[in-house]
Amino acid sequence: MALAQVLLNGLLLGGIYACIGAGFSIVWGVVNIINILHGSFIVLGAYGAFFAHQHLGLHPFMAMLPLAGLGYLLGQGLQRHLIRHVMAAKVLVTLTLTFGLNLLLNNLMIYAFSADFRKVVLPNQEPLVLAGLTLPMDRLLSMLAAAGVVLATHLLVTRTMLGRSIVAVRMDPQAATLMGVDVDRTFAITFGLGTALAIVAGAILSPIFPISPTAADSYLGKAFIVCVLGGLGSLPGVLAGGIVLGLVESLGAFYLGPDHSLTLSFGLLLLFLLLRPQGLLGRKGFE
Amino acid sequence: MKLRILTALLSLSLLAGTAGAQAVIRIGAPLPMTGGLSPEGQRLKQGHDLWAETVNKAGGILVGRNRHKVEMVYADYQSNTPRAVQLADKLITQDKVDYIFSPFGSGATKAVSAVTEKNEVPNIAATASSVEVFNQGHKYIFGLFTPNDSLTEPLAELARARLPAGARVAVLARNDLFPSALAAELEKSARKRGFQLVYNEKYAIGAMDHSGTLVQVKAARPDWLVVTGYTNDVILVRKQMQDAGLSAALVTMVIGPSYREFTESIGALAEGVTSAVWWHPVARYTGQDVFGSTEKYVAAFRQKYGTDPDYANAVGSLAGSVLQAAIEKAGTTERKAVRDQLARMNLNTFFGPVAFDANGMVNSYVPPVFQIQGGRSVVVYPASIATGTLK
Repeated sequence: MALAQVLLNGLLLGGIYACIGAGFSIVWGVVNIINILHGSFIVLGAYGAFFAHQHLGLHPFMAMLPLAGLGYLLGQGLQRHLIRHVMAAKVLVTLTLTFGLNLLLNNLMIYAFSADFRKVVLPNQEPLVLAGLTLPMDRLLSMLAAAGVVLATHLLVTRTMLGRSIVAVRMDPQAATLMGVDVDRTFAITFGLGTALAIVAGAILSPIFPISPTAADSYLGKAFIVCVLGGLGSLPGVLAGGIVLGLVESLGAFYLGPDHSLTLSFGLLLLFLLLRPQGLLGRKGFE
Repeated sequence: MKLRILTALLSLSLLAGTAGAQAVIRIGAPLPMTGGLSPEGQRLKQGHDLWAETVNKAGGILVGRNRHKVEMVYADYQSNTPRAVQLADKLITQDKVDYIFSPFGSGATKAVSAVTEKNEVPNIAATASSVEVFNQGHKYIFGLFTPNDSLTEPLAELARARLPAGARVAVLARNDLFPSALAAELEKSARKRGFQLVYNEKYAIGAMDHSGTLVQVKAARPDWLVVTGYTNDVILVRKQMQDAGLSAALVTMVIGPSYREFTESIGALAEGVTSAVWWHPVARYTGQDVFGSTEKYVAAFRQKYGTDPDYANAVGSLAGSVLQAAIEKAGTTERKAVRDQLARMNLNTFFGPVAFDANGMVNSYVPPVFQIQGGRSVVVYPASIATGTLK
């Protein structure tokens, strides 16, 4: 029974991790930028949801849509005006740029919101008890919302002209240019999309995790692992990677003790990097 | 002629300048204003600032017959201990401060105490609770927090009064210096009272999920569940306890619940949680210090910052009160004389009575145990300052 509960918890956690990793994966996979800003964007989204809830009484799932729009504009502007200039440089340069921007954004958030912890407090949601298993409602809803967002993005990428151009740019930017795809524009749109996904993740997580600028690093760490496990740029991969990570951490905490669940997830990361660098569902050559 | 007047004026203003400089007592405080510890750094700074402002409004510190104004000189060590040591050195040797208020926490305080000792500068350590900071034979450091076991003993005593003999205790601790030291003390306090330790594990710093852990804790069926960690940890654990359907007759969380974010972030789930902390705004002490009493201190803080002070704010102000009392008693700002008065101190303050043991660690007050009842903190121990009873 305990094992079933642990597996269930792992699944729910996995959905949340997938949500954290989605935007990071798409930016890394397509634009080839390791976006250190990602964790801070998630925190920014969580603050957006927090203030929308506090001042306007909006449920985070409602606030998430307008926030996504703002996030898109922010990301697209950033790519067009700043990051574009170093796109041709080595990956270390873009890494350094986003690292610096992250320090800036993170300290601005500490300055504006202070580093005190806050949380969106929704009316008490008692966990559902089914056949001896407890099912936390807010986590369940967040997991469903996360899966919905990831699937919607997957459809966008696979079913629309815009999505096709994103995939084309990811496979071969030069060939895409020759076929008439505006690569610069696609990069900007993708970065905007990645940022919007991070902001949405923040809103979805705001009723679950305490909100503070200091949480940004742990989000970034999880996003990184989820991407490596699932495969870069692959949205179904993000879902798979998130769920594997959630299950491994839950089982690890249960069997080996809570101190080792992080050890286990980083061990898994190393193992994947060595043996299957393209991830669970990634394609070889795009790792 | 013109030149001579100018020179006279100039020297006059210089004289006035030096006279002014003499009347100022400068206190250096290396604090973590940015980085991971910035919330704590900001809290201490608020406390120091409130004290300095209050003293200056009253005319300054009385030294012999003159009043000297106070000036705080802050330096941001970015939550990086080696930098705190450098800055303490710079504050003493270049900025020529008269005294030092320590950085945050036991680790950085211990590191900085070597610098203040070498330069023979009185150092008031507001937030160091590890005995190891004070047993190095240093003469110039004075700590305002009682040792860690002074927090766990009253908690265990209350648990014994409440729970059946041989009750089952589960301890879940953050794998970090202070939280795991607290857990170790708690384990001792619990065993001493014949409790049965049914679960005792540590979780990693930065853990984002406790669901797997809590399934195990639930299976251990504890009567008393103790969780140590910082605000974000205990918020998350309390929330996930609900998710897991886990409850216990007595739930204790240290050190997070003393911050108002705890109750604000989890609402009704905070109900009934007990915790211990060195100082709480609902305590009722009267003092001979510049603030007069706990109530007046809380009112002054609320007026300046718009919120209730927590223990980190208060101990920041206490550092000032204690130094002030020592200078006034010594009648001079001379460091050695001030140090001797600190060692001999016996002062009632808004924070509680302050006297130091031979190592320079405070040993004169009992940290209050409090419980969240109806969304507010109620002190349930010690009886002398209690505002309610354990529910």
